[in-house]
Amino acid sequence: MSLLQVEGLEMHFPVRGGLLNRVVAHVHAVNGVSFEVQRGEILGVVGESGCGKSTLGKCLVRLNTPSGGAFRYDGVDYTHADHEELMDYRSRVQMVFQDPYSSLNPRLTIRDCLTEVILFHRPHEAEVRDVDEMVLELVQKVGLRADAVDKYPHEFSGGQRQRIGIARALACNPEFLIADEPVSALDVSIQAQVLNLLMDLKDEFGLTLIFISHDLKVIEHFCDRVLVMYLGNVVEELECETLHESAQHPYTRALLGANPINHPRERRELTVLEGDVPSPFDLPPGCAFAGRCPIAEPRCSESRPPLEEKRSGHRAACFLVE
Amino acid sequence: MAKFLQQRGVKKLLKDRLAVWSMWVIGLYLVVAVVVLVGNVFLGGDWKRATEERVGPDNVPGLWSAVTTEDRLEHAKFYFDSVDKASRSSDPAGAYAALQWGADRLPDWSAEVIEREILEPARRLNEELSEVEELDDDPEALVKVDRLEALVRGRIGASHDQAGAASTSLGQRFRLLLGTDRQGRSILLRAIYSTKVAVQIGVISALISVLIGTILGAAAGYFGGVVDVCVVWLYSTFSSIPWIVLLMVLASAFRGSSVDGTLIPVYAAFCLSFWISPCRVVRGEVMKLKELEYVQAASAIGFGRARILFKHVIPNTAHLMFINFSLLFIGAIKAEVILSFLGLGVKTEPSWGVMINHAKSEVLNGFFWQIGTATAFMVVLVLAFNTLSDALQDAFDPKHV
Ligand SMILES: Nc1ncnc2c1ncn2[C@@H]1O[C@H](COP(=O)(O)OP(=O)(O)OP(=O)(O)O)[C@@H](O)[C@H]1O
Ligand SMILES: [Mg+2]
Repeated sequence: MSLLQVEGLEMHFPVRGGLLNRVVAHVHAVNGVSFEVQRGEILGVVGESGCGKSTLGKCLVRLNTPSGGAFRYDGVDYTHADHEELMDYRSRVQMVFQDPYSSLNPRLTIRDCLTEVILFHRPHEAEVRDVDEMVLELVQKVGLRADAVDKYPHEFSGGQRQRIGIARALACNPEFLIADEPVSALDVSIQAQVLNLLMDLKDEFGLTLIFISHDLKVIEHFCDRVLVMYLGNVVEELECETLHESAQHPYTRALLGANPINHPRERRELTVLEGDVPSPFDLPPGCAFAGRCPIAEPRCSESRPPLEEKRSGHRAACFLVE
Repeated sequence: MAKFLQQRGVKKLLKDRLAVWSMWVIGLYLVVAVVVLVGNVFLGGDWKRATEERVGPDNVPGLWSAVTTEDRLEHAKFYFDSVDKASRSSDPAGAYAALQWGADRLPDWSAEVIEREILEPARRLNEELSEVEELDDDPEALVKVDRLEALVRGRIGASHDQAGAASTSLGQRFRLLLGTDRQGRSILLRAIYSTKVAVQIGVISALISVLIGTILGAAAGYFGGVVDVCVVWLYSTFSSIPWIVLLMVLASAFRGSSVDGTLIPVYAAFCLSFWISPCRVVRGEVMKLKELEYVQAASAIGFGRARILFKHVIPNTAHLMFINFSLLFIGAIKAEVILSFLGLGVKTEPSWGVMINHAKSEVLNGFFWQIGTATAFMVVLVLAFNTLSDALQDAFDPKHV
């Protein structure tokens, strides 16, 4: 059985307005997303800005309560679990945040920050062992020097802060990590270091990962499988190993085309996307991508193509893909 | 402490020369206030009593200047004028009141003399005047008034000055440094004692207001929903009442109760009207903070909402608490002066507002020592505080750091 099962997950944010502050519309941030994650795998989630990647991640750690659908972790449904019921879940599933500059409390030293988490989630362990020792161990595991523990976040660089963010997530001793664009805000040279660190930690702690990024290149190297999202929907799901060959959905192909080529003589057809992403307030009835799709047919804008298994391990939501 | 000094904001603050100066000035005021507070408690209220004691004749100018007869005549000029005016306007009651008042403000004459030389003729004058209808038509009455005037003038001419220049003891010279008020009390002692009252009111009302405002504002911003609606409703309601009116209403609500005239009604009035601005600012800041990823991370870890609010959100509004405290501290001191000036504030102790209130009539006589002293004490403190709070804002505003 897969570790995490997500079925038709929806997150519609109400938009209030007018004199009486009534709900006038909904932002369809996540719009019926289904997928599964196997124990020990790394699932990539890719898509352009605003397509609902972070919202998906926040639903899965229950920072947002989904407005529809459900997800099960290890067989238990946590979609509407309350604070107490979530305690166990929270120690098992953690999130690493997108922006290392705002993800650490500026008033807590690294020691205070990690100690608080350890005492909260592992009080029994902390009785047997010295908490300071546990903190040091964590700090060294994420590749920081021991003397970093008594510093404040502003004394660190972006890459170092992201390591601290990872250490904080690991302080709960989780088995599942949702990394929301953990390297997007970092320099390219630092990106590789943090990615390697995540890889090492995955092996060491036996983690399962959801890795969110807008960079297909990073996903391709780092993940086992990838979900391609467009405006709150999954449009394609495929193995990373054969990404270039098997990618079928025109949006995925466009994303692949947007990656810089490796060699000047390398040629490929370049699909430049035209037009705008439709507004997430009122979604078009058909395929959300139809307006920008280079191969769209009339039926594409009439009804929505379902996400179908095209081949084993490959799903796509497009009428024109076999 | 060393860490505190290392913070960027603090470093920046210490580089600002004006800010450092104003901190010294404020420090001096605080020391004076604490010394007066503690000393007064230890001596069982002796220092407070000292501010009520007569140390010399009334309205002696400061810097130990000798009080010449001309000066005192000059001060009494208003009195003669008013007697004159009142008697001319066929207002015997007014003339009498003026005489009475004049008698009060020349108390270094013996009571006997006042009785014989002023009050008695005044009573006679009163009787006579009340019988006359058209005063201008009765030269007799005018002559009587002239006689009275000459009498008083003669008394003043004869009374020799017993003021500062003559006294030699150090304590007396200190007490007379800035002169005496119209009851012969030392202006310097009263102004110094008022520092304690001002600082006490400033610190206590600003502290309580900032605490109430921060907690309510943070709760409103963080929890949203009904809590937010209630808090916003509360502060909108309070802020729709002009604060001075609110202060007056609250101050007079306590009139006649056992705490009337003490500082307690003043504290209550200030806290009720001053919590609004920190509340509003903190609410906005918290709404911003709660979307920040470290607060979200704390929720994802599973911390309870109270812990997140008090440990992760409120400490990050500390710069706002600082700034609001310094603004409200000075606001409270100024408001106290206004209230006391209107006679609604402190009554049992001297305060700058009370001093300015008492100085109203002296100013008409050209005596500026009391109003000058009270104003100078206040202005220096307010100026220092405004300078410091500007500097604080510059140093701790996250946008500048
Ligand atoms: N709390 C919220 N209330 C209302 N709308 C929201 C909220 N959170 C997100 N949204 C909207 O949901 C949509 C998806 O946002 P999300 O942050 O998930 O995008 P993203 O894919 O993570 O983008 P990025 O790559 O820029 O991080 C956006 O249109 C955003 O405006
Ligand atoms: Mg995002």
